[in-house]
This record gives sequence, structure tokens and C-alpha cells, in this order.
Amino acid sequence: MAEDAQELFAFYEKDQHLAINNLCRTNHLPEWLRGPVTGPGALRGTMTRMAQALQDIARHQRDLNPPGAEILRRLASTHLKVRGLLNNLEGLFPAPSLPPGRRHPPGPTAPTKVFQQKLEGCRILWSYARFMAKLSAQLEGRSRGGRREKRRSHRGSWLLARS
Amino acid sequence: MMNHLMLLAVLLLLRTCYTTYSQQESTVFPVTYLNITKDLALQRLLVEWDVGKPAHDAGLAMSFEIQVRRTDENTTVWTGFHNVTLGKSAKPLHWIWDSDLPLECMSHLVRIRSKAEVSKIWSQWSLWEAVLGMDTSNNSEPQIFPNEKIVEEGSDITLCCIGRKGRIIKEFFLVPAVHVFSHTNSQVGLLTVKNVSHQGVPHISVYCQESCNEEQCYAHSVFFVGKQPDTPNDFSCQTQDMRIVTCTWSKGGETYLYGHRLPKYTLFEEFSQKMVPCTVSCSEQCSCSWNIGQQRIYNITVTVENPLGKKTAMDVFDVTHRIYPAAPFQLWEECTDTEITLYWKHRNKGIELFCQTEVLQPNGKVELHNSSDTHLHYASITLGGLQPYTEYTVRVRCGAAKHFWRWSEWSEALTIRTKEATPSGKLDIWREITPVLGGRNVTLFWKQAPSFRANGKSVSYEVTWEKVEGGSKRESISFSPVHNSTRISIDNDSYRISIMAKNNVNYSLPSVMIIPRATGTEELKEEQVNGTDDGIFISWEPRHTYDSYIIEWCKVPMLQPCDLQWKRFGPNISSALINSAAFVPGVRYNFHVYGSVANRASLLEKKTGYLRELPPLLDPIVEKVELTLNAVTLSWDSYPTDESQPGFVRGYHVYVSPIQEDCLLKGSKKHVLPDDSVLCKYTIEDPEEKRYTVKHLLSNTKYKLAVKAYTGGGETPIVNFIYIDTPFNSNLMYLLVLLVIVPAVIAAICHWKMKWVKERCCPVIPSPSKSKVLSFKAFKSGSEKVLKLSDCIPDMLAVDTKAEAQKLHPWSQLPSTPTENKTDDGHNSSQICPDEKEERDFTPTPTAQTHTCFENFSYSSHLAVTFDSYQRPEMLEASTPEVSVVLYQPHYYFDIFNEDAASAPRETAGRKASLRYISQTDVHA
Repeated sequence: MAEDAQELFAFYEKDQHLAINNLCRTNHLPEWLRGPVTGPGALRGTMTRMAQALQDIARHQRDLNPPGAEILRRLASTHLKVRGLLNNLEGLFPAPSLPPGRRHPPGPTAPTKVFQQKLEGCRILWSYARFMAKLSAQLEGRSRGGRREKRRSHRGSWLLARS
Repeated sequence: MMNHLMLLAVLLLLRTCYTTYSQQESTVFPVTYLNITKDLALQRLLVEWDVGKPAHDAGLAMSFEIQVRRTDENTTVWTGFHNVTLGKSAKPLHWIWDSDLPLECMSHLVRIRSKAEVSKIWSQWSLWEAVLGMDTSNNSEPQIFPNEKIVEEGSDITLCCIGRKGRIIKEFFLVPAVHVFSHTNSQVGLLTVKNVSHQGVPHISVYCQESCNEEQCYAHSVFFVGKQPDTPNDFSCQTQDMRIVTCTWSKGGETYLYGHRLPKYTLFEEFSQKMVPCTVSCSEQCSCSWNIGQQRIYNITVTVENPLGKKTAMDVFDVTHRIYPAAPFQLWEECTDTEITLYWKHRNKGIELFCQTEVLQPNGKVELHNSSDTHLHYASITLGGLQPYTEYTVRVRCGAAKHFWRWSEWSEALTIRTKEATPSGKLDIWREITPVLGGRNVTLFWKQAPSFRANGKSVSYEVTWEKVEGGSKRESISFSPVHNSTRISIDNDSYRISIMAKNNVNYSLPSVMIIPRATGTEELKEEQVNGTDDGIFISWEPRHTYDSYIIEWCKVPMLQPCDLQWKRFGPNISSALINSAAFVPGVRYNFHVYGSVANRASLLEKKTGYLRELPPLLDPIVEKVELTLNAVTLSWDSYPTDESQPGFVRGYHVYVSPIQEDCLLKGSKKHVLPDDSVLCKYTIEDPEEKRYTVKHLLSNTKYKLAVKAYTGGGETPIVNFIYIDTPFNSNLMYLLVLLVIVPAVIAAICHWKMKWVKERCCPVIPSPSKSKVLSFKAFKSGSEKVLKLSDCIPDMLAVDTKAEAQKLHPWSQLPSTPTENKTDDGHNSSQICPDEKEERDFTPTPTAQTHTCFENFSYSSHLAVTFDSYQRPEMLEASTPEVSVVLYQPHYYFDIFNEDAASAPRETAGRKASLRYISQTDVHA
């Protein structure tokens, strides 16, 4: 998913002619994408917001592109992946769900100008790509650490057994 | 008095001028009020002004000159005139000016002056009235105008970027980049795009940056390039059931505007002045349906609109004239062998329909049958004139019988097979008669003629035969559908044979053939025919006695049985192009032409030919080669010229390789091979002439020959040659023996007896240098020793007075007495000879220096043979030719000998004068 997020951002930035002066690559990340991910609940919250953000970006892009445009296809694909991850999280770590139709509290006022909407979408995708990259590295590190710990404990018990 | 009058006139003139001026002054009505507002949505200036009330009261016709100026430009950007007749109501005047530059970009100023039509004097200009641009306000960040404008493709757009106060616009550009006219070295940046195009992107982004890098130094915007919607084409409305009307129209071209900027469609009904309550859906075509209620006549206007414009289309109609029936459904049929009655149902109850049935025949031909619907629940049509046991595919469509509007869709197709009937037409039959002991074997063939129709699922055959005369028992055999031939044995009497086809219903009419009584066969000459690209052309002599002609041939002539084929022709035909996919080039096909009358066929002509002749596959094998001194006879008797050849053998070519490059053999033609080598070619034009004699050859010479057969397809390249050597001519041998061998034998004998000859002619003379004679004290003169007589003490002196000796040694008479030396072995090998130099001068010189010369010929065998030193010069000269012929001695020896011989008579005197002793070895050197 980290790779998919990075590819989506790169395509969006180029397709929307925003690869100028690093407009999208801001350090002012949305609060909900800053991390760190402290647990499944936090990740679920981030992914819920991301799913909403992707829907908004797709809605804006539908006003700018013909049906079937590549950007719309990619946004829909990523949205599906985010929804899939959310479903998995729900399954593994059930949490009291929000009432149907209720959205998270709105963030800062959404831009109304087309360019600002494009830019906002681009910045979210950039932040999402960074977030996913960090998350991926974090999970990989944990996975490696877990395996190391497992090996160490296994070796320790073996030494204990020998002694 | 006169002066007084002049003064009065001047005063009068001045008065007149003043009055005129005062009148004109009173007709100038300057602008008393001027107000300007801006409509930013439409980017236009709304100008409102007024003149004095007297002008309104007078209802004057007035002209106004209006000027527009921008703050950044010193000159007026626009000047226009506005003519109006003032009304009594004293309402202010209005005027609108559309700006090509966004009004936000900079301040715009307007002034006006006026002129009454009756006057020729313009009023003073009003003061400039301004509407301020955004450049005058305190912005917190740069701003771009217009923002998100939708521009029609092909038009121009001007954008501006207004920086903050005191800032200069550093960059102002579009992405994707397009050619622009820009001006950015001030607080306001301007950018104009002429003839803007879509460029395949949904929108164009605009970037602006002040001369700083903070976030607030940037401004961004977009604009869209699109098209107006197309006028809805093919707009029409119709109903299937008189309850719901559906209007349809074509979607039109791409507008490049999407989402909420897509074209929007609305339908409006003019008579009721109501919007049509329907929802438009567009895929390939747009449509909109609604329930019509009681209204029968409509005037519907469809409007398509997007931000760039709108288009309309209209349709006025009576619903009862716009019936588009639903497709008929649930088709079923009843049929006989030649008729189908087709039934169907339809959904348009209460509407009289007119229907059309399409019948697709097996040959692909389509027939249409019209019918009117009279039944309440279903409709039907009867289709006649059909073929038995044949599949037909039918389908139906309907339209309103009254006020036909258009056909419904076709119903689903139904395939129907008619019932079986008796086979129609006759079979085409033929036979092959083979005489056997005591009778004949007759092979009967049958096939379905073009006019024959089986009219059933499967057809079997029945063959019947009986004697024509004598009322013999009738015999018959039945055959299954897979058979198309049989063989029967009959005696030599005449027989009547009939063959019939039979299906599940009945028999066909019989095809009859009479096999005549066996008689002797007449041999017919076979005629060669030519093939073409389209087949083999056969023609025959027409005879009026026959009612048909039959040509028979074998499809595969090499096979046995050969798959006999036949084709029947009418009585007026005398030629045919026989074509078959089985015909192959290089195969000989034999055709027999029969004439038939009253079912009796008789052979008329025989033809044979190839579709295309090919060169012979095999070369003639030369079985016999007869050689003479100057000719060679080749024969290839066993070479076949029959049907085994891939073409008619037309003759042979005999090729002979010449010695010279050019072919000079008489009766031949030059033939150049692909490798440029040359052969002589003889042509034999009779294929049965299988023997040929090549004449005018040279004896004892090697030749290569080849024999090739050629057909109408030519001949194959020459690969193999026969090599021959013509015999040696023995007469030449005899001549050679006479001229060479005999002299050679004589020379050999001479050589064998050389010792004897030498002893006889040239006794050996020992070398004086080895003689003791020269072992004395002497002085040297040059290389020669000189014996002083004073040193020599002779033992004895004798005077030789022999006449013989004097005769044999003429030089001995010289004053200087030569010394005769005898070798130990008794051979007299010495001679007295002149010095070579001296020999050339034959003049006797009595005073010449005296020398003693010894020449030893024992070391020169050839000279020993050819030269007898004791011979006189005359004798030597005479003996010269004989020696040269017999011994084939090298010429230079001969010359030397000759020279010596020629000079011999003259040498005598010289020798007398200078006698020298020369070793034999010196002679050789």
C-alpha cells in the first residue's frame, strides 16, 4: 500500500500540473496524517479520514476529468485499498463504530477554488504517501525485531536447557 | 453720410454674428451627471449619465462621444459614439461597455461629451469618472483575474496577476505552457492567450509569483477551455402504447467540460407552457420519457446548455401519428411441403397494424411479404410457392396501419423447414462399357442434375435393366444415398437401363439409357487439345442427329478405376471449357465426346490434352554411341513419348560442346547456357526420330554431348553430358613415322656406332699440356710457352716426303712445319687447324706468325659425329643438310658448323700464317 500511495501521489502531482516549486510537498501535514501510529485504533481513525479524503478528491476530479480518466481510476483503486484495510482492522480490532452516516468532525474549511482543491488533494496524497512509508517501515522494523526476539528467546531457552 | 451708413452696416453685421453665436451657445448641453459601475460577472462597465433638463424638454436628438481609458495606459483604449433622442421623462442615459481585460486588473476611467444634432459644437468633456481596480486595494497576497473562467475554444483570454502594494510580479505563466503575450515588470502582470485551444487537458493552471519566495508571494488559478454544446440532432418523439411518449436525440460532440459543467438538457412543452416532467439519460443517444395523459398534440423544445452557450431543437407532433409499435413476439407456424403459415402476437392492443414478413431463402435471397393485422389476439400470414423440405428463416415487424410512422424492431427470427415431397427432376446418368468374355461389364454412374431436387431428407436409388428386345426378366437393385455408381454384367444384346431416386414420399421420374448391341469398335484418331488457365477447351463437330452431347473424362487418369466424370450438353452446343479443381498441370487427360439420341449414346471424337504442359521429367538415355573419325551417332530408342510424359514430346535437342567458343559445327545453332558457356544445338522435330548423327567433328578430340527431349512446356536445364573422344587419324601416324621415327632410328644407330665412327673419323688427340713435350725450359710469351730451338737437342731429324701426307695435310707445306703428335694408344687425334680468329680471314698471309695448333676433338662428341676434321671444306659443306635433318641438333651447333664450313676454304691461308695449339677444353669454353 505504501508503494501504491507513492505512485498515486506521483501520478496526481504530474497529471494536475502541480510539480512546480514543490507545491504539494509541504511539511504542514494534516493533523490526522502526522502519526505516530500508536495502535490499531489510531490507524483505523487515520484510514477512515483518508477514505473520506479520497472520496472528496475523486469528487473534485470528476468535475475536471471525463468519465474513465486515469486519475479517477487510480483514486478509486486506492480508495478500495483503504476501505479494505479498514475492514480488516475492523475485523481484527473491533471498536465501537460511529452511527451510520456520521462523519468525523470537519477539519479546516475545505477550499472552494478549483486550484486550491487540487492543491489540497495533492498535499493530502503526499502526506498519505509519507504516512504509509513510515508505517510500512515501522511494521517491517517490528517484524524484524519480533523475529530477532523470537530467535533470542529460543536460543536462551536452549542454553538454559543445556546448562 | 456715406461714412455713417458704413458704420451702420458694420454694426448690423456684428449684431447678426452675435445673435448667431448666442443661439448656438444655447444649443450645447454638457453632461451634467456621470456615474460608472462595473458588472464583474459579465466584465462590463455600466455607464449612466444625463444632460440638462432643457435638452430633455426640447426632445433633442443628441450625439455622445464616450472615451474609456485605463490607469496604466496614457491613451484612450476605446472611443465610441452614442446617438439618442431625449425623452420628456428626463431619465438618465445608459450605455454598456464590455471589457476584454478583467475589470479587477486595473482602474477604468470614462468621460463623455455631447452634441445636439441641430448644433455643430461639441460640449466640453466631462471629468474622468473611474471604477477602481484591485490594484488599488491592499491585498494580503497576489491575486489572479479572472479565476476559473470558462473560455470557448478559439477565443482570446487576458489574465492579470495583481501583486501586493510595492511588489513586482516576477513570474506569471501557464501550465501546460502555451504561447502568451505577457507583461510582468510591474505590480500588475498581464498575460494574453490568443485563439486558445483545448490541448487535451481538462484545464489550464495559472501560476503567479511576486519577487519573493514566501508562501504569500504565490497565487494560483485555473481556467477551462471548452465548447458550446451542439444542437440536439434527430430530435423526435414517439410512443409505443399511446401512454408514454419518449423523445430521443443525438448527444452531440465533446464539450471538454465535465462534472457540473457538463451540458444540461431540459424539455419544455410550449402549448401547456410547462417543463416536461422527465429525466434525461444519455449514453449513445439521449432520451426522455413521460406519461402523456390526455394531451394529444405537443410542441416540445429540448434545450441543451453549458456555461458557454445553449442550443435548442423542437418537435411538434400528434401522438397518434407517432406510433412506433413494439416488436411482434411469440412466433409459431404451420406448414406443408410448399406453404408456411406464420403466426405472431403483438403488444399494441387496439392499434391497427400493418406488418411485414421477411423470408430468408437457403440461397441467401430475401423476400418481403406484407400483411394487415385483423385478428384481435394474434396476426398471421401464409407464405406460398416454397420448396419442399427446405429451411426458411422468417421474422416480422409492424407499423401503424393509419398514419404510419416507422417500423417496429424485427421480431426474433424463426427457422422453419417445409415438409417432404416427391423428388422432382431426373438424375443425370452415364455408363462405362467394358467388353468381357461373352458379354459386357457396364459401370453405371448417376448424380443429381442441377434441375433435380431430392425434396426429402434422404434419397436412395433404384437401378433397373432389361433387354430391349425379347422381353427378358427385368432386374433391379436399390442403393443407399451414399452410392453413386454400380456395375452390372450384360450379354451382347441391347439393354434398357433406368435409374430412379426415391425419398420417403415417392420415386422420381426414371432416367433411361440404352446400351446398344455389341459391335466392332471403330478406331478414332485422337486429337490433341490445348489447356488454358481456365480449363481444357474441347470442341467437336456438331451433328444434327443428336439431341445431346456428353463429354467424359477421368478425374485421375492414373488411377484404376479412374473416377469417371461426364458432362452433358444440349444439341446446339459444339464446344465446352472443361474445368475441374482436380486438373493438374503435367497430367494428360483423355476426353471422349459422345452424341446421344433417344437415350442411345455413341462415341464421336477423342481428344487428349494437358491443362498445362510441363518439360519432360527425364532426359533420353543415350543407349548407343557410334563413333567415326568425324561424326558420332547417338540413339535413344527406348525413350517414351506417351502419356507418361508431362507434356506432348515435340522433339529433341542434341547439344555438342564446341572446341572454339563460337559454335561452328554445320547445321547447328549456338546455344548459350546460364553460365555463359556455349553449346551447339541440333533440333529434331520428330518425336519418333530417336537417332541422330553429329557430323563435322574433329578426330582425336574430346567432345561432350547431351540429348534433351522438349514438350510444349519446354525442356529442363542440361545437367548431364556424355563425353566422347573421336578416334585418331592413322594416316597422320604413318606420316609421323616416316618423318620422325625413321630418322630417329638412323640417328640412334649412328649414335650406337659412334665409337667406330669416331675412331674412323676423329682419332683422340691427347692434351698437349700434359705432354712431356712441353716440359722444357722456355720463355713465356703471354700464356704460351715458346720452345727455343737452341734449347732443343734433337736426337734425329727426318724429312717426310710422303706424297700422301702432303695430300692429306696441305697446311704441312707451310714454312712453319706442323708437328704431328701421336698418342700412346695409337689414336691420331691431332689435327692442324687454324685459329678461330684467323679462320674468319681466309686470305693467305705468307708472312704471318707461325703457330702450332693442336685441337683435340675427342671431348666433343657431337662434333666428332658431324665433323670430320680431315674433310675438305667442300666436303663439309656438302654433308651439312643431312646431319641437320637426321639428328635434330640444336640450331646453334648447326650454325657454328655451317659457319665453319662456309669459312673453311678461306681459312687455309690464315691457318698457314698463325698455327696455334688449342686445347679441346678451350673449344668448349
